[in-house]
Amino acid sequence: MSLLDIDERILDVAALADIVKCPIVDGKDLPEVDITLVEGSVTSDEHYHEILHIRKQSKAVVALGDCAVMTNITGMRNYFNLKDVVDTAYVDAISNDKSGNIPNDPALLKLNEKVVPLQEVIDVDFVIPGCPPDADTIFYVLFEFLNDRIPNLSEVKKLKYG
Amino acid sequence: MNKIHVTINDKACEVEMNLSILEACKSLDIEIITMCHLDCITDVGACRLCLVEIEGINKLLPACTTKVADNMIIYTQTEKLKRYQRITTELFFAERNHVCSVCVANGKCELQKLGYKVELDHIRYPYLFPQCDVDTSHPWYVLDHNRCIMCTRCVRVCAEVEGAYNWGVMNRGSQVRIISDFNTPWGDSTTCTTCGKCVHACPTGAIWPKAIVQGQLDKKPEMINELVRKRKMKL
Repeated sequence: MSLLDIDERILDVAALADIVKCPIVDGKDLPEVDITLVEGSVTSDEHYHEILHIRKQSKAVVALGDCAVMTNITGMRNYFNLKDVVDTAYVDAISNDKSGNIPNDPALLKLNEKVVPLQEVIDVDFVIPGCPPDADTIFYVLFEFLNDRIPNLSEVKKLKYG
Repeated sequence: MNKIHVTINDKACEVEMNLSILEACKSLDIEIITMCHLDCITDVGACRLCLVEIEGINKLLPACTTKVADNMIIYTQTEKLKRYQRITTELFFAERNHVCSVCVANGKCELQKLGYKVELDHIRYPYLFPQCDVDTSHPWYVLDHNRCIMCTRCVRVCAEVEGAYNWGVMNRGSQVRIISDFNTPWGDSTTCTTCGKCVHACPTGAIWPKAIVQGQLDKKPEMINELVRKRKMKL
């Protein structure tokens, strides 16, 4: 949702492109698109299938933010076994109900053993690191792409992590 | 003063004898990227970022530990070197757990600045995600192995400037770790004088004062240089 940080400039983007899908707009399937901005890393089976689908439907995939590019905070559970991580939340935490039950509803996503950044699963065409990614940088990248130019973050001194 | 002739990046230059290539380039305002180098303490060639090409030698040599010689032909800016610098930087990020957004050094980190300089936007290698300890036993400072890049600036500054020899290095490869005394908690150290020079020498958020929160760290590694000069003046 960092896209919304570009504020009123989203109107300039809308003048050049149709925004066809967005997590808060609708739950429809992703149609064939030119550019997809993907936030977050691949942490579960659902994410894995979703990112493969996104890759198939998009001409260009842009990894947006440190989580998508280098796993960031979501990857901090990779230092431990998945079981230890889940137990910490649902079994050992002082705040839980002492039942020790781990939620396993079929509607819930199944966590993968390790969290990986997008580029370990699919080919990513462009990355915008940053936590949060800078609004000016997001607009710059979109504007360059929509005007048929290839952006270059280090050339315009817009590289940033953290 | 004895001067010798060297050619750096196709430019004929005259430099003093007995300088390292790094020092010679510095005197000529030629920039070389470094991470483990700190003015006034011994160079060890740990980070491999200052590698240069020298004509007639078929391997890359670190500028900080190689002395200039008469008629040496040196290249510091070739495409090959740039590619190696980027690879080295990526391996720093992939080897341990550098989570910039929760780091005390965020925005003031030499590793971040290095990344921007070598135009690093993502890491092409699989992350190792090792489980690293954080030593909070010292009353004032924290040692976080997750953020350590093994430049050993803390080890050298503690030995050479403070003379305390608290820090050391153990193991090899990805298991390599900075240790206090004989791998005991920093807080139990009998050699540490709590002077804080290692805190300022550390280029990342691996050693930091407890009184600091995320992104607030402000290190002054140039202070070490000043201290050495002042102490030598007194001697």
